[in-house]
Amino acid sequence: MRDVPEPVRVVVLGGGTAGWMTAAGIAKLLPVIASVALVESEEIGIVGVGEATLPHIRGFVEKLGIDEAAFMKATHATYKLGIDFRDFGKIGESYIHPFGSFGEEVAGVGFHHWWLELARHGMAREIGDYSLAVAAAKANRFRPPAQGEGLGSTYGYAYQFDATLFGPFMRDFARGIGVERHEGRVVSVERDPASGDLTALILADGRRIEGDLFVDCSGFRSILLGQELGEAWEDWTHWLPCDRAAAMPCKHATDDLRPYTTATAMSAGWRWQIPLQHRMGNGYVFSSAHISEEQACEAIMAAAEGTPLATPRILKFRPGRRSRSWSHNVIGVGLASGFLEPLESTSIYLAQMAITYLIELFPVGGRIDPRDRDEFNRLVDMEYDRVRDFLILHYHATTRDDSEFWNHVRTMRVPDSLEGKLELWRRAGRIEKYSDGLFYDASWIAVYLGQGMLPEAHDPRTAMIAPDALARATERLRMAVTGEVATMPGHRDYLMREAARLAEAA
Amino acid sequence: MSAPREPLRRVLVAGGGPLGILAAIAVRRALPSCEVVVAGGDPGPAAFADAAPTAMPFTNKLHDRLGIAEADIVTRAGGSYRLVTRLSGWGGEGQGGVVAYGEALDPALKTAFARDWGKVRLPGEGAPSVGSLAQVLAEARRFAPPPPGEPTPISTVDYALRWHPPAYRDLLIAQAEALGIGYVPGQIDRIEPGDRDTIRAVGIAGQGLIEADLFLDCTGPQAALLASHPGFAFTDWSASLPTRHVYIGEPGAPIIALEDRLTLTGKGWVSEVAGIDGRHVLLGTPAPLPRAEAEVLLGGRALGAVAMTLGRAAQPWLGNLIALGDAAARFEPLGPLHIDLAHRQLALLIEMLPGREITALERAEYNRRSALMMEGVHEILALHFAAPAAQEVFGTHPLPGRIAAVIDQFERRGRIPFREELPLLAQEQLALLVALGWTPGLAPAALAADTTAETQARAAFAAEAEAALAFAPPYDQWLARTLQASRAPAG
Repeated sequence: MRDVPEPVRVVVLGGGTAGWMTAAGIAKLLPVIASVALVESEEIGIVGVGEATLPHIRGFVEKLGIDEAAFMKATHATYKLGIDFRDFGKIGESYIHPFGSFGEEVAGVGFHHWWLELARHGMAREIGDYSLAVAAAKANRFRPPAQGEGLGSTYGYAYQFDATLFGPFMRDFARGIGVERHEGRVVSVERDPASGDLTALILADGRRIEGDLFVDCSGFRSILLGQELGEAWEDWTHWLPCDRAAAMPCKHATDDLRPYTTATAMSAGWRWQIPLQHRMGNGYVFSSAHISEEQACEAIMAAAEGTPLATPRILKFRPGRRSRSWSHNVIGVGLASGFLEPLESTSIYLAQMAITYLIELFPVGGRIDPRDRDEFNRLVDMEYDRVRDFLILHYHATTRDDSEFWNHVRTMRVPDSLEGKLELWRRAGRIEKYSDGLFYDASWIAVYLGQGMLPEAHDPRTAMIAPDALARATERLRMAVTGEVATMPGHRDYLMREAARLAEAA
Repeated sequence: MSAPREPLRRVLVAGGGPLGILAAIAVRRALPSCEVVVAGGDPGPAAFADAAPTAMPFTNKLHDRLGIAEADIVTRAGGSYRLVTRLSGWGGEGQGGVVAYGEALDPALKTAFARDWGKVRLPGEGAPSVGSLAQVLAEARRFAPPPPGEPTPISTVDYALRWHPPAYRDLLIAQAEALGIGYVPGQIDRIEPGDRDTIRAVGIAGQGLIEADLFLDCTGPQAALLASHPGFAFTDWSASLPTRHVYIGEPGAPIIALEDRLTLTGKGWVSEVAGIDGRHVLLGTPAPLPRAEAEVLLGGRALGAVAMTLGRAAQPWLGNLIALGDAAARFEPLGPLHIDLAHRQLALLIEMLPGREITALERAEYNRRSALMMEGVHEILALHFAAPAAQEVFGTHPLPGRIAAVIDQFERRGRIPFREELPLLAQEQLALLVALGWTPGLAPAALAADTTAETQARAAFAAEAEAALAFAPPYDQWLARTLQASRAPAG
């Protein structure tokens, strides 16, 4: 028999998406060594951020042993192959950022260099035509990727789901595996006078919830990490000025069910369209420094297709992160630790990432080693900073000058870490390479090229092949992509094939 | 509209050892229109990347891309296969372990092994279970390179090649000649500066000046070009890497074995590479040894000794000059890290192949990644000297980079923090840490989980091991057949 230390009493504050994901993750993956209680208040309600996700969510759901179909049914989920960005680089232009690659490396030279060479001769089609994920998305088709190494395996997928249903789904799951739920509002916090660590949360009715480790999922209020521990907030509004969203669900306007999210640039931000099984999520993410809430609501009502199911609801947020996400015995997960606007659907990923690292670095037995805390903060900061730069790129790589908002983001000074990446791309068509973090080469290339930011020069080796030969080779690839897409079922058809993943009819 | 960059017209490779020749081949294959000239001779035994009788798996992939056939190395350059390296003594008397290549193990199996390694063993209880298929095969002396493109029970086993260095160089020369690469013998006696921080031309004694767009310094530790550059700066590693003297043994009798050895003795470390051309032995010590004493440890005559300077070029790419291998980083030859580093740097250069006009940011990006590669080697080497018994022989030294955190995370959690551009994969680091005497901790999730998955993974591994042994022929017989077949007259 193994020696099992006393279970660590984990108290999660906040019953939103991040809170229930954390509770479920810890309870499922660290049974015996942790016990989990969650405090939530119905009066406060949840934000329910993130209706679109990244492929990583599949790993999370799988690791918890949750059946994909049951999960899709509960959250009214559809499949997602990427995001269609419209009007970002220039009004009238669009591109899809896929969960997949474009073409393939030839003779050690990345596909985009060959594509640039072809474009120089006026012989290139859109780069998305050489990506199976993009081509399938445009055709409204879907099939899970194939195993192995063929063309059919060159993409991944995620889900578009109703975030207000995802939290409760995780709640039911978590409660089913022993997470204790406490309804109530926290009015004060008890701390150990010597260490400053938290020891208990005091609820409005006087109940005292003791714990060894506290996970702050209280959203922007950041009750434990921000308010109680005073962990500083690094504000990134100057780079990412959007700080509000006006959300308004609508009925589907057509029978098409897009296997992708649409992000359309607006005069003071952008609006999302996220197709769920029964409705279309709509919202306008905007900068309150540039337009008023009323103007944003009017704009989303005017732009949204389909019959509105509710009046617009305003959500407030601010981009940035706490300088430390783990301080004392408090770990912030989700908005309590940081926020990046939903342009690339990263909110749920960032919560999941923090949960994964917390589980890896979990203080078994209850004693927190400062080295684990430092490691957690290092990893979380790196992820946030890399995602931040990638988001800024979407605003900065533009020729738009039709509003104050676009003038600001087009001309602003970007972080040095991004400036170096941009310059490397401009001068040589190359991507700064790293293996850790969220967005790799293909993502950067999708945005650069999609937003019309062509480099000045590309790889010298591309000039060695005659343009006609190059055109023939890429045409073969395009035909293979087209042929593969033709064998894929429609997104709606594929979804409907299995009743187990369909929500009750609305 | 983006245009292709004007390609390099001529590249001069300084240094005619295997690394310089392979670099020339790589550039020529990438840019057939570019004239490539190799100047100068083999930089000699202190250029460890050039003198290496063996490499790591990355080199196999690079060779494949450059048209250097594995079969040719085996049949024409005294090639042989290494599946594992056995480390002994680093964690103390009688302690040891085996490091294989690749990352093919099921995570549940890794946890199962971690549990075994961490277990307090009762007297008489056996050593921990074998950690890889490669070790199973090496200990049974069974192997043949699996046929590419079809799944076999040994297809997941990664391996490294050994060779006879002069024959390997001849093989590369033949390839270089076939590709039309020029060769100018003679010493570099002059460097002609160009605009700003560039080199315009290099003078070769008795041959005049050779102009080029790009210069590669493969001259070994003297760094004939880079060290003369006004922008050259050296990052010193001597505080963290304690080997000061390396003794080179005369190759001993040929050995047929699938494993090599790295042993810690009371005086220093001994590296043994089992070549079918002979046993290659190196000894590294913190202090000079009398010749007789060194020869006892080498197990034969000492051919020479090298006094080590340790460190790396702060920026291996300056102007239009790029240093590779020992010209970029100098460190003790504890395993084939020199050639592996040199080849990864070469691959990076080919990936980022510049045009005639070099931009500052591509240089910066190359230097960033190249420095990560070099510091990765620095960390892996320092790990050896942080091992308990190594500290008794070499003293205690500050740990560079994130090594202290890696050891800490490994001991407490069995976790290997990810670092970019390391020479070893996570699973290889895990095996190395165990072989050096550290005991892995268990991940929190493994503490909490029941062991059903681990039991299943063990059973699956046992079945795979059995299938691998049934599939792989005795290695010595396979090698004899292969060499015999290659010597048979054609037709």
